[in-house]
Amino acid sequence: MLPRRAVALLLAASLLAAATPAFAGVDQVKLRLPLKPRLPLRGNERIALAPFIVVTDAEKAKDKRLANVDLQGEFHRFLKKQLEKKTKFDIVITPADLKLPTQNLTDLAKDREFWTAVGAQTTSEIVVSGSLEFKVEDRSGYKTEEYTSPIDGRTYYRQVYVEQTGFLFDIVFLVFDGRNGEKLLQDEFKDFRQLSSRRADELQGLFENLFSLENQILNTFVARDREAERYIFGN
Amino acid sequence: MRQARTSVLLFVLVATACTSYKNTDKAETQLAFGSAVAKKGLWREAAFRYEQAIVKAPDNAHAHNNLAVALEANGDFARALTEYKRALELDPNNNYIRRNYARFAEFYTSYTKSSGKAAGAP
Repeated sequence: MLPRRAVALLLAASLLAAATPAFAGVDQVKLRLPLKPRLPLRGNERIALAPFIVVTDAEKAKDKRLANVDLQGEFHRFLKKQLEKKTKFDIVITPADLKLPTQNLTDLAKDREFWTAVGAQTTSEIVVSGSLEFKVEDRSGYKTEEYTSPIDGRTYYRQVYVEQTGFLFDIVFLVFDGRNGEKLLQDEFKDFRQLSSRRADELQGLFENLFSLENQILNTFVARDREAERYIFGN
Repeated sequence: MRQARTSVLLFVLVATACTSYKNTDKAETQLAFGSAVAKKGLWREAAFRYEQAIVKAPDNAHAHNNLAVALEANGDFARALTEYKRALELDPNNNYIRRNYARFAEFYTSYTKSSGKAAGAP
């Protein structure tokens, strides 16, 4: 049993600790910082989602897993849903029979006539297109890891086989003025995710990529915010 | 007698702790209080406290850094930039201030950069 005095001192010390301001030096704090929209829009424009050049099409023959993914359809669906949910734009998807005049991104960006026609056909002030690339990579292999032996307590290094799948998503965004076909913005978003399984589902990987890019994609059209960390001093 | 002495000691300790923020004419007190409220997300109060700290100690780099962070949190980026610069001027080798300034500069550059053209603009 502790003597009474010791108990009193202990109590005092704990009260002191609770009541004293944080003189402990440096603290990391989190702030929400605003991100201006990349495009200065009113917020109620009609936006047409035109087809994107799918860069991975040529590889579908080689990789059966990519053949299961309708990249164009999934991306359009994702983009439409997010824009409708988080903005006040009127979103339309261009008719299914609309074909891009070229599969070359540079030429596509310059084709003002085509984009004016798309704008007129869909009565949209803004037309969105670009290119999409999605890659599934088997990242399985031997990796070195530290191992502490329960027998002698010493640390050794050992080779372990780790099954991992990597998902790479690369979007080039082209935004056109639907009234004159002028290119308003070109931007690229990239994301790489790694899942710990050799046969990780490709759609799951695709959506992991898309959700991590969501803020950046939406920031093209509307203001967003992001978390930032800073240091403050307590004394 | 012994019990009374312990009680007095206890009272003095608690009273000292509770009045530690009351010494408001000290820059350190304002700084500490500002940081305590900043951690709770009360950035306007924090900015006020840091400004008070600067009035009392104009060359305190920590106060200028903290004020810059509070101004950033309140969306006053132009003033935050001035305060970060002043903090660095006063303590150029402080890694925390340098890191804050670098991160802020990255954000501020992209914030002020206008990349897109308005639809229908001439």
